Amino acid sequence: MIEISIQKKLKSASGEMLLNINTAIKKGSLVTLYGKSGAGKTTILRILAGLLNPDHGKIDVNGATWLNTSEGINLKPQKRKIGFVFQDYALFPNMTVIENLKFALNKGEDDNIINHLIDIIELGELQNRKPDTLSGGQKQRVALARALVQKPSILMLDEPLSALDSEIRFKLQQYILKVHKEYNLTTLLISHDISEIIRMSDKVLEIDQGKIIKQGKPNEVFNYKELNAKFQFTGTIIEIEKQDFLYILTIRIGKDLVKVVADESEGQQLVIGDNILVSAKAFNPVIHKIG
Amino acid sequence: MNILKGKIEKLTVSGSLTLIGIEVNNIGMSAIVIDTSEAAPYLKLGNTITVVFKETEVIIGKGNTDNISLRNKFKGIIDILECKELLSKLTINTSVGKISSIITTNAVNQLNLKVGSEVTAMIKTNEIMLSE
Repeated sequence: MIEISIQKKLKSASGEMLLNINTAIKKGSLVTLYGKSGAGKTTILRILAGLLNPDHGKIDVNGATWLNTSEGINLKPQKRKIGFVFQDYALFPNMTVIENLKFALNKGEDDNIINHLIDIIELGELQNRKPDTLSGGQKQRVALARALVQKPSILMLDEPLSALDSEIRFKLQQYILKVHKEYNLTTLLISHDISEIIRMSDKVLEIDQGKIIKQGKPNEVFNYKELNAKFQFTGTIIEIEKQDFLYILTIRIGKDLVKVVADESEGQQLVIGDNILVSAKAFNPVIHKIG
Repeated sequence: MNILKGKIEKLTVSGSLTLIGIEVNNIGMSAIVIDTSEAAPYLKLGNTITVVFKETEVIIGKGNTDNISLRNKFKGIIDILECKELLSKLTINTSVGKISSIITTNAVNQLNLKVGSEVTAMIKTNEIMLSE
């Protein structure tokens, strides 16, 4: 269990903002911080990592106190057992993949973990290459592996996938979920992509103006009914046509446009730009092989 | 969407498919899903469950429907009938509550459906979605 209670005055573009976060995160869960830019999401991760000090606060991680401002406890970042992955990969350009991983290991530590990580994140063929010969998705896999070398108590992912295209993104999500389970990590993710959040998170904290304004399972926060349907996508409505008692919705899902017929009771509540979850039974779609 | 509340009364698993018997107000329904109790904890005998199906998947029959393969049948009376050029929307009062159906206006005319007609609303097993 991670118990967080932190307050910090921040200067934002729109003036002063009080960051005030009180929450508990279950060990082994994957929790997403969701909210507008400037809401304070990255600041929360930086405070947890010890890269930034709050004005007041307390952070307890699995029984150990990392921070307690009233008792003057403040562990240094390197003592906090945190793995961090950012949008830019921050790999050492002069080192190969395996050297980047080994560099993250403390002297004298068992390097079995590196072989294991290379194995499960499938870096075997890349291990002797330098970062500038790798694609964005490959670099991010290396960054993920490197963040795990120290067996962190918390894995923090600050929009790690937002620079990647949707196919690579999906693969990276699978790798993250795999290591999250394999190492029983507690993972904090910052993401704006609702389908990514639904696919990955156990819990969502919606942050606005430095405060948690909503929290719960993805379906509670995004307020949709969780159906057992296996054919599910999130999309954005780009056109609404009303015909008799039906609404014909044009929805952008990834790169594709689809049309869906909705009943009056559903259609009336929708406006262009709404994000929606589209569900159908796995039995309905017809498939054709292409290419 | 049509939404009904029911209780799981039978689970038959085969491979990765589960056939679910659901009781909705003393009427038996069936649904089939690609899930098993292990992966989906809501699949448990006695659990209350929400049954969801789309208006456009509701078939309307008149008279005897015993020899039709559909497993989900609700007898009722047409309460509201709204006919447009191609499609018509029916609201049927059944023993499980109101069920909406969208069928072609041609079908409404051919079956001579009117407000007050006795009909059976039917849904295929594989069109039923479930929610906790």
